Amino acid sequence: MIVGMVYATRKFTFSSAHRYWREEWTPEENRRVFGHLTVVHGHNYTLEVTVRGRVDPLTGMVMDLTELKRVVGDTVLARFDHADLNGDALFAAGQIPTTENLVRAIWDLLAPKLGTERLHRLRLWEDPTFHVEYFG
Amino acid sequence: MGAFSLTRAYHFSAGHRLARVDLSDADNARLFGQCSRQHGHNYAVEITVDGVLDAATGMAVDLGAVDAAVQRVLLDRVDHYDLSATVPALDGVISTGENLARVFWAWLEPALPTGSLRRVAVVETDNNAFEYFGDPGERGR
Repeated sequence: MIVGMVYATRKFTFSSAHRYWREEWTPEENRRVFGHLTVVHGHNYTLEVTVRGRVDPLTGMVMDLTELKRVVGDTVLARFDHADLNGDALFAAGQIPTTENLVRAIWDLLAPKLGTERLHRLRLWEDPTFHVEYFG
Repeated sequence: MGAFSLTRAYHFSAGHRLARVDLSDADNARLFGQCSRQHGHNYAVEITVDGVLDAATGMAVDLGAVDAAVQRVLLDRVDHYDLSATVPALDGVISTGENLARVFWAWLEPALPTGSLRRVAVVETDNNAFEYFGDPGERGR
């Protein structure tokens, strides 16, 4: 943590389908490694986006949360909400749409728009019991 | 070996709006959107305090003393008030989560054992939280 900075976190939700499957493996191998995750299923994801910065004395804000909502809405929610992650171009090259891979993919989408000096952390909840964190 | 951080959550309810007194209502609406209208929140404030384990009590932080300090310098000032109008200590402060986190730090830091305050988080809604870790270059306000 950097002293003097404020860290602002906003939550977003989206719902997507996925399954874990490697084309180059046999169905038996897939089932042995991934188990029930080989079957298409879905989650209500919660994404926490933390931005950091000095407080703008004019607005009292680190970042206009309406702008953050717009960026995340256009970049992440419009792309993944009610979508099949396996069909997304990000996962076309054989990457498994695990929570880990998804949080990195979302980071790569958001970082150019928010800036890495401002984007501090992503926390992606697959369900209420499991989340991953990524700091870039 | 004996260093702990303890986090405790407190709650208060207050009204506020985001507006600059030097701007017109229309300009404030442009700058702050729907936040420029009078509204309110059930706020949560998380206070993290560092301490060293006391072998005699098994405690690193005297929670009762923290509770009393938070009640006196924070909750009594803001609970069921209008942060934009009826809290003299917030005069001139735009009551964003960011500014509240910094102001609450400035109120709490001198009321707690020296150097023990580690983090103040202002949770404005289930979706928005603002964390502050202090700044040695910033004293009071």
